[in-house]
Amino acid sequence: MDFAWTAEERAFAEDVRRFLRAHPPERFPADGVDAGYGSGAHSREFLAALAAEGWLSMCWPKAHGGAERPMFLKLVLMEELALAGAPFGPLPGCWQTADAIIEYGTERLRREILPEIARGVATFWQGYSEPDAGSDLLALKTTARRDGDHWILRGHKIWSSHAGISRHGLVFTRTSQEARRSRGFSMFVVANGTPGMDIRPIRSLTGEVYHYEVFLDDVRVPADLMLGPEGEGFIALLNGLDSDRFWGRFYKAPALERVLRQLVDYANTTFSDGRRLADHAVVRRRLAHMATEIAALRFMFYRAACLIRDGGPITYETAVAKVMADETGQRLAQLGMDVLGLWGSLGEGSPWAKLGGRMSGTYLTSLGHTIAGGTAEILRTTVAVRGLGLPSGRG
Amino acid sequence: MNFHPSPPQQLLAATARQFLTARCPIELVQRLTNMGGPERAPQTPLGGSGRPGKAVAPLDTSGFDATLWRGMAELGWQGLLVPPELGGSGGSLLDVVVLVEEMGRACLPGPFITSAVAATCALMGDGLQKRVLPAMADGERIATLALVEERASFDLDAMTLACDLPGRLTGRKLFVRDAHLANDLIVAVRAGGDLTLLLLPTDRPGVTRVPLATGGPERLYEVIFDEVAIGADDVVGLPGHGRASLVRALRAGALARAAEIVGAAQRVLELTVEHAKTRVQGGRPIGGHQAIQHACADLVRDVDASRGLLYAAAWKAAEGGSAEADIAMAKAYAGEAGLSVARRAHQIFGAISYCEEHPLHLFHKRIQAASLDFGDADLQLETVARAIGLG
Repeated sequence: MDFAWTAEERAFAEDVRRFLRAHPPERFPADGVDAGYGSGAHSREFLAALAAEGWLSMCWPKAHGGAERPMFLKLVLMEELALAGAPFGPLPGCWQTADAIIEYGTERLRREILPEIARGVATFWQGYSEPDAGSDLLALKTTARRDGDHWILRGHKIWSSHAGISRHGLVFTRTSQEARRSRGFSMFVVANGTPGMDIRPIRSLTGEVYHYEVFLDDVRVPADLMLGPEGEGFIALLNGLDSDRFWGRFYKAPALERVLRQLVDYANTTFSDGRRLADHAVVRRRLAHMATEIAALRFMFYRAACLIRDGGPITYETAVAKVMADETGQRLAQLGMDVLGLWGSLGEGSPWAKLGGRMSGTYLTSLGHTIAGGTAEILRTTVAVRGLGLPSGRG
Repeated sequence: MNFHPSPPQQLLAATARQFLTARCPIELVQRLTNMGGPERAPQTPLGGSGRPGKAVAPLDTSGFDATLWRGMAELGWQGLLVPPELGGSGGSLLDVVVLVEEMGRACLPGPFITSAVAATCALMGDGLQKRVLPAMADGERIATLALVEERASFDLDAMTLACDLPGRLTGRKLFVRDAHLANDLIVAVRAGGDLTLLLLPTDRPGVTRVPLATGGPERLYEVIFDEVAIGADDVVGLPGHGRASLVRALRAGALARAAEIVGAAQRVLELTVEHAKTRVQGGRPIGGHQAIQHACADLVRDVDASRGLLYAAAWKAAEGGSAEADIAMAKAYAGEAGLSVARRAHQIFGAISYCEEHPLHLFHKRIQAASLDFGDADLQLETVARAIGLG
């Protein structure tokens, strides 16, 4: 057992902190909202600044322009960025897409897309869900039919985060009707602006636009922009989901820790009933309890990280960690609103706002987290069936 | 970063699993600890008033299997933390955690954590250690901790029993675990201006051990001191300088109890999942229902998350760090999560688990007792509160 960071990891963390001092995150303009997952807002400029350090491609094979640095440096980078509240929103999606392209992408994808990712230019939206295919992804109706050296995509995707401001979509389609329900799916990398693609914003309950729906009306996509083996897309997607849950939530624990630190400062400096909030036993205990939950969450992700690094089999570890991350986040947001009381209802525009007026946004965005990327219910079933071997309810 | 026990630790755990499966089956635990069991001897005070001529009751060994204890000693477990020059193997708290997790899994009864972990840590580094540690390492002597008083707290400020040195000790300690088995008591008193630890044999005149009626299988005692003669030789370390040893013992004890909880909760998880797979109702295993599946998923989360904090805290402690907040977090989290696991398991098992004959309540009661020993969640979370900067 060893819970220490290596010398290389510590040195890299110092590099990242130095970078953050030179590039204060708050100076970077946000192109898209912060959905509260912990990776901050969508900022192309910030992504480009990370790319300029070589950090987007640092773990790729040298043959693809990478530096073959250890995977754990990605964790170090995300942790430092999340603790600083930096706007690195698109980064995890870029990394996952790059990993998929390196693993089974075509020559064209490797030649055209990887360098774009390395430069911090390419960002991606996920075209998975459809109006009638949410938790039951296999019910999707979007089709791709072959036409010479192109595929023609037709369908309706929804809940695609930041689709309107991204460069490419990862569109999951049915490419053939197969006897087995899980066969016959394929993934495409589709450039935004391709004729026939209509991207429309969906206003969230926060009042902001985070999700989009995308209408695909005979969108022609070159065949060599298919990502992964034809007809095996669901298997590839499923394999990807384990890491999706990991990379999509790893930074949540440090991000929650950042909010907790703000609440601790607030409790130390705010008086209520003639006493500091920090001296109220209930506040004190709830904050300490939350710190403990966040620490526990962090080790759940570290353990999953070790499994991913060592190539160990993952059955339930990322699913259980994701559920825990999102539910812990919701409890922290509730705690934050409770500690702030009436002040919590004030937003960023108010001169009276506490903690930047962001707590109600943290609370509201956290509602979506146990739904997006696999609902807490679907994932608990995954833990039970894949992790514990309980009988599948479908049978 | 790496979550795997080292090869020697894996060997330790595998040996423990094998030994405890053979020598501490759940039937033995039931026999030793069930309230209605035939071996639950009527409990009587031990020691009497301590005045000459008074009869001393025979040692009550209920809840204890001496053969099992000797078997553990043959494997060197009681000496795991004891330095080699005193007959132990000089292991670390991380080794202890790996071993105790297996003990929790087996619901092993007895004073291992009290004597071989906490009391041993209290005595470490003191001249007195030469007097008792070799025998404790051999399993020949057992020590327990007499710390808690009427405030019913492991908070050091709640320990107020005063004593002159040399002089006479009069007063009482409560919640003294397994005092009936102990040869020695480690008593926290106020002397020499601050906390002082005394090492007193339980047969010292004036020491009486009165069993407390408990709602579960635990053996807890009130220890009464009536004009007990205390000399300079009885002091662990220096008078007024017991705080560091006491804190070391409490932290080691808390860490070991967290490990016991994690082991017990892991076993509860396994038993429950097995039940969910095999119990058929309405023509299908109950584990095919989402209500049961989701409850089982929460058991996994609680056990895994507790273990992560446990290992990280044990590693830090073994590396020589203070690990104060880490252990507090591990203990607070494991206690709460372990109890939640036990309660949910009862719900999944249904009526059968309400029977004394069924083993679940043994694990549940063990987790409950462990969660209170060496500082409950309130006390641990106060430590965490200070560590996160709440002034």
